[in-house]
Amino acid sequence: MAENGEEKLVAVARHIAKTLGHTDTMAEDILRIFSNFDGRLREKLSDDGVKQTLNSLDRKISGYISADAPIWSNPANFYSFLDSVDQLTAAVREWTPLADDKNISSCLDRAEDLLQRSMFRLEDEFRALMERGAKSLDLTGGRAVHRPDYSDEEDDASVEDDDNFVPVAQPITDYDVVVDALPAGTIGDLHEIARRMVAAGYVNECSHAFNMWRREFLEESLSRLGLQKLGIDEVHRMQWTQLEDEIEKWIKAINVALRILFPSERSLCDRIFLGFSSAADLNFMEVCRGLTIQLLNFADAVAIGSRSPERLFKVLDVYETVRDLMPEFELIFSDQYSLSLRNEAIAIWKRLEEAIRGIFMELENLIRRDPAKSAVPGGGLHPITRYVMNYLRAACRSRLTLEQVFEDSVAPSVDCRDGDDKALSSSSSLGVQMAWIMEVLECNLEAKSKVYREAALCSVFLMNNWRYIVQKVKDDELGTLLGDDWIRKRTAKVRQYHVNYQRSSWSKVLGVLKVDSISNSTSPSGASKSLKEKLKLFNSYFEEICKTQSSWVIFDEQLREELRISVSGTLSPAYRSFIGRLQAVPDIVKHMDRHVRYSVEDVEARISMLFQGNGSGRR
Amino acid sequence: MPTTDFHEASSSSGFGFSILSRRRDQVHSMESTHEASVQEIEVEAFQKQVADRFQDLIAAESDDWLSISWLRKLLDAFLCCQEEFRAIVLKNKAHLNRPPVERFIADFFDRSVKALDVCNAIRDGIEQIRQWQKQLEIVLCALDNQKTIGEGQFRRAKKALVDLAIGVLDDKEPNTNVAHRNRSFGRSNVQKEQKSLGHFRSLSWSVSRSWSASRQLQAIGGNLVAPRANEHISTHGLSMTVFAMSNVLLFTMWALVAAIPCQDRGLQTQFNATKQFFWAVPILSLHEIILDESKRRDRRHLCGLLKEIIELEKCVRPLNELTDSVHFPLKKDKEVELKQKVEEMGNVYETIRDGLDPLERQVREVFHHIVRSRTECLESLSRPNSHD
Repeated sequence: MAENGEEKLVAVARHIAKTLGHTDTMAEDILRIFSNFDGRLREKLSDDGVKQTLNSLDRKISGYISADAPIWSNPANFYSFLDSVDQLTAAVREWTPLADDKNISSCLDRAEDLLQRSMFRLEDEFRALMERGAKSLDLTGGRAVHRPDYSDEEDDASVEDDDNFVPVAQPITDYDVVVDALPAGTIGDLHEIARRMVAAGYVNECSHAFNMWRREFLEESLSRLGLQKLGIDEVHRMQWTQLEDEIEKWIKAINVALRILFPSERSLCDRIFLGFSSAADLNFMEVCRGLTIQLLNFADAVAIGSRSPERLFKVLDVYETVRDLMPEFELIFSDQYSLSLRNEAIAIWKRLEEAIRGIFMELENLIRRDPAKSAVPGGGLHPITRYVMNYLRAACRSRLTLEQVFEDSVAPSVDCRDGDDKALSSSSSLGVQMAWIMEVLECNLEAKSKVYREAALCSVFLMNNWRYIVQKVKDDELGTLLGDDWIRKRTAKVRQYHVNYQRSSWSKVLGVLKVDSISNSTSPSGASKSLKEKLKLFNSYFEEICKTQSSWVIFDEQLREELRISVSGTLSPAYRSFIGRLQAVPDIVKHMDRHVRYSVEDVEARISMLFQGNGSGRR
Repeated sequence: MPTTDFHEASSSSGFGFSILSRRRDQVHSMESTHEASVQEIEVEAFQKQVADRFQDLIAAESDDWLSISWLRKLLDAFLCCQEEFRAIVLKNKAHLNRPPVERFIADFFDRSVKALDVCNAIRDGIEQIRQWQKQLEIVLCALDNQKTIGEGQFRRAKKALVDLAIGVLDDKEPNTNVAHRNRSFGRSNVQKEQKSLGHFRSLSWSVSRSWSASRQLQAIGGNLVAPRANEHISTHGLSMTVFAMSNVLLFTMWALVAAIPCQDRGLQTQFNATKQFFWAVPILSLHEIILDESKRRDRRHLCGLLKEIIELEKCVRPLNELTDSVHFPLKKDKEVELKQKVEEMGNVYETIRDGLDPLERQVREVFHHIVRSRTECLESLSRPNSHD
């Protein structure tokens, strides 16, 4: 009796559902409501309910899946399909714990089969959407036009056509632009698909499709910037001029990557995998990892490469680029999966610092190795002095960067500056480094000066080179680094060499011109004789000096004048008074022309020809 | 498994050892410590370290060879040897700045730079293996935790298995065509298949497309000849030290290339050391073993000799064949067979999942150590002795 009653109840419930429910969905809904309302109905309806649900879903979904045209091209179908997938996923989830029941179990199998086919189809849709929707960026100066959304078009054939794609030449003027790599509508659709795939446990398939596509896009974007993949050994063996070009390209590429491409990918990941932050993070890292490694690898290769001093400025460029982009880098790669990338970047940053320090070390070696034997004839300015001073001045134009580089290191263990120098100059490690290089240069110049046989020429050489050094240091950043005291001391050096020169060259001549007690103590003829001797000596010494020093050179005009004036200033009066003494001796005056070879004016004239360096001192 | 008792080797007229022992006798008989003998003891100790370390690697379980854990031991051994080598270089600056050892050591540091590219390529190769994890997860998810395997799950696993099979095989092999055929599901077209393949192949970010691991190895081993007897003595054994370290470098890189997928994996590199040198014996034995392994018919089509890759292929191939031949609904015995293979696959998956990250970190460590060591040694050698 009760059974009959229940059966009747069920039949009535079904009848109501069929009559009132205009669609299958509605009918099912009504049945479900009845089930929830009454436990008896639930039992009776459930088996059939399950099958009903499944059948209706099967009908719908199979319809979509078997269609050739992309489902997303018709929004209504698209959302309907997704909705069905949602229901299917929910159903599978609901039925899985009930799998012991044989009826449910067979439905579950069918449902899972249907779900798998839906997922495969969704994967295809996903790929197709990405493929179609992506516009390539013309990063060399143009920007591509947004493709119109074709979803309203009836003609599906045009959907597959990639030819009506027109880049518009609008240059990218600044990096603040975050470019939409895909149109907003497409991104939305992709998100809808991704949501369903993740919910159904197909996150790997979805991620795989996504990552592969985005990786290709990035690779293509970068190759448009002309960036080659280069191994470390290749970079190591490259000609410097070629490497300079590559560095330029790299600087542009890494800026584009970190300021435009990666933020864009991050945004894309976040939107497509909205609600699944782990997946978003992981996919972002996998998409950008390869390119990041390629970019970092190049910087690493530069850091590992030759320490030849000529490379300083380009290596500084690379270093500054890495340093300046580090905040961007850490922001973009702040997720849990990108820790190793961050660490790599920091390691390379440090290596670039080491490389810069290494370049200065190599500069030191270069100076030290410059052979002493290669002295400049005429005691002039040595090429090494010119090279080093100009190099250091150029380097100091990047003073701030270099200070940063050297602050992070241990300063050379020998701080060669004496107490005063240390106190008054910049106490930065860079200042110490510069002072050290000057010390090395000084040693080298000392060694070179000793090659000259004449002490006077040795002094001239040192005078010339230190004069040049002081001049180059004085009006430059370099001067600030080395300090006023350093400059003062080296200026004093120049003066000292001047004094040395004068003493070693001219003291002999001046000695000859000294006529003190001779005339008083000896006889007139004796006095005359010794004066004649002295005159002879003077003539020969003077002649000799002028001959020897005719090829000597003082490059600095002012210094040259100073020297001439000071030599003249001592010699002229001495000679004049000597001549005066001669005139008091009647013996000599009679044949003045014969004995006296040079007038005072002649002497002054000869002196004023000195240090031109072209042998013009010779008559 | 070859037995190598280096005590035996040393007591025979092994070249390197006997000269050193003769010299040492001489020195002892002089009853004074000469600086040269300190050096030679150092050099000898280094060679013994090399011999010991690589002997340990041979002594490992034979089924552990070229596994992830074995590779990590190899890298450990390399780091130890290089660390000791670095110390010797820093201490013997004066001797090393003279010909002919000056050139040997400059060559060594050039070889080191080439090795860096190998390290980078290996990192890319590890990433390639890591990508398989996703496919493995799909297969395990689809087939592992079900009571019975449904057709949908089956299809899902099948697709992932085909991808895996393609990934694990060397792209030069004709077997990949077979895998291609099975790939057509639903709307797959040729372009898409090629893109899949391309995915597994275009993971080399660190080296150019024309780069070749085989050529790089040849370059690392290029002009690597044993020092002559008189050179050995005149350089106080340092030229032998450089030669030994160069061989350690070459072998380590070679073994990595043998194990891990990378561009143009050729293993024909020459090793010019001979078993006359006691330290070379274990290295050359390992070389022979791995080379033999690579020539086995069933190994030749693999993209790498890593034990885990071999094991993976052992699961993937039969699974592919099984899933190809089977019809739904599954017969009970087929299902059991399937599940068993899936379980084995699960084990390999876990080893890969847990082992790749530490392996990659270690490869990076080796990279960094090579760079640091090289920079430090070159800087030291270029500075005059007066600086502290």
